Amino acid sequence: MKISPNLAVLFMVASAALLALGPFVLPPFYVRVGQLMLYSAGLAVAWTILGGFAGYASFGHSAFIGVGAFAAGLVEARFSGVAPPLLLLLGLAVGGICCAVLSAAISYPILRLRGTFFAIAMLGVSHVCAELNNNVDFFEGSLGLNFPAVAPKNIEPATFFYWLYLLAALVVLLIAWQIRRSRFGAGLLSIREDEDTARMLGVPTERYKRMAFVISAVLTGQLGVIYAHSLGYITTESVYRDDTNLSLIVYSLLGGMGTLFGPVIGAFMLVFITQVILGRLLDFHLFATGLLLVILVLAAPGGVLGLVRTFRLGRRRAAAPAE
Amino acid sequence: MNLIAQTLADGLVLGGIYALAAVGFSLIFGVLHVINLSHGILVLLGAYLALIFSKALSIDPLLTLPLVMAVLFAVGYVYQRFLIQHAVDRSQLGSMLLTFGVALMLQNIMIWVFSPDMKNITPSWAFTSFHLGAVNFDAVRVSALFASLVLLCCLALLLKFSALGRVIRATAQQTMAARLCGVNVRHVYALTFAVSAAFAGAAGIIIGIILPFSPSDEATWTLNAFVVVVLGGVGSPAGALLGGLLLGMVSTLTAQYIGPSFPNVTMFLLLVLLLLVRPTGLLGNAFSASR
Repeated sequence: MKISPNLAVLFMVASAALLALGPFVLPPFYVRVGQLMLYSAGLAVAWTILGGFAGYASFGHSAFIGVGAFAAGLVEARFSGVAPPLLLLLGLAVGGICCAVLSAAISYPILRLRGTFFAIAMLGVSHVCAELNNNVDFFEGSLGLNFPAVAPKNIEPATFFYWLYLLAALVVLLIAWQIRRSRFGAGLLSIREDEDTARMLGVPTERYKRMAFVISAVLTGQLGVIYAHSLGYITTESVYRDDTNLSLIVYSLLGGMGTLFGPVIGAFMLVFITQVILGRLLDFHLFATGLLLVILVLAAPGGVLGLVRTFRLGRRRAAAPAE
Repeated sequence: MNLIAQTLADGLVLGGIYALAAVGFSLIFGVLHVINLSHGILVLLGAYLALIFSKALSIDPLLTLPLVMAVLFAVGYVYQRFLIQHAVDRSQLGSMLLTFGVALMLQNIMIWVFSPDMKNITPSWAFTSFHLGAVNFDAVRVSALFASLVLLCCLALLLKFSALGRVIRATAQQTMAARLCGVNVRHVYALTFAVSAAFAGAAGIIIGIILPFSPSDEATWTLNAFVVVVLGGVGSPAGALLGGLLLGMVSTLTAQYIGPSFPNVTMFLLLVLLLLVRPTGLLGNAFSASR
């Protein structure tokens, strides 16, 4: 399926404009759901830069959400006199830098692992970060951190964060799209398909993997900073969440692993299912998520986009009978 | 001196249990190349079954061991044959996520059935203890360690000398060659899974005797099993024992000398360190399967 870049940009701008109208027409509950959808979509695309393109599925990206959020919160608390919008930018910068440093440092041992070993080692990283955050007094993880209100006075906070998430998701999508189109992106795909061969053919696999890891971590961390601001108050448990770790994989799996728009579709679908359809059945939540996972793996390993693709292929075959 | 001897003794006991809890995970990974994220839930299932059986039959929880192992053997066989087999030959990530989905569902069911509260099956004789030199041993912990070691030896002998063990090892080494020699690989996969589940259940009983447990503990036991396997090496009881003892020592020493909330941190630091200096695990080839 080939879409010309211009058409893709047009489509993205159009759908973004449509989504931006959301807060004007939706009831408050759905604005909240919309926020969560856009936040999840942003995270899912940030995850897919490493997990989908390079095939390094991380099971611990909540580490970066947490590190970004706490780094931003701790720094912002020391600059309480600054104007709120600047404070948010400061938080984004600090959160991004901290995630970049952390991910670059752990990339050396961690990226030596492949496949499921990498996935679970990342889970370990997220647990270690969460425990350090919770137990070292300096980070105030168990007490919790307050975030200043950054929404301008004349805009409803819910609407403001909805737009902010939309903007963030678009930026992440744009970055991922540019990566996908570039030589770097082609290198990442070659790593996913066969890392040893790619290396033999001269792809700088180590450098590319590390770059993808750092970019993915920074974007995830910055989304975490926005998330923390929209919550207003965070503890360790509210940002280092194992269900986030899992969801990030499920978004891609649901939408289509390795594709650009698959994670967005997956995130929208899963958030809608869990928040709107299962919203009143909290006891049933784990079970439903588990069942969804099992069905997905067994019935649709390619996700929604995979199903679409097989459907089109089938039609094309039907249209042109075998020679 | 006293304190360090006591800490090391506690670490030994804990390590034996870690080893038993991890050996099934290691076996499944070595033979099927599946990361079984529902391993922890199978461990807990063993503990809860022991709770039910020991209440229903009013016997000591340790005596329910054969019964629990038999039930979990059957559960493991069916689980592998009807669910995991469909994902085994596709992608590793797929089978891993499948087991994770099952773990979530079972955890939810456990919360419905047994409530999310802590339970325990500590037997009446749990609080007797004896001294060896200056070191204090609880009867319950020593019997737990003893049971773990016996079970690990049984598994090692089973793998080494029985016909089933030979077939399992052959399948692990060269699936294709084993198939050519007439091994029914699907059946062996299912049997391997069944044996692993049975040992997970046994570990559950022993854990339940020492520590209280709740449905949300499953992730801890899965992660522990993973770390043990990475430390020790894949697929052998000896590797699991080495990894388990190492992990047990490290966590008790950390809890004693650094702080009670840091064992996981040191555990994963150790893991990362080991990956740097010896990326294949201490014994054997932990990472060949990941490449």
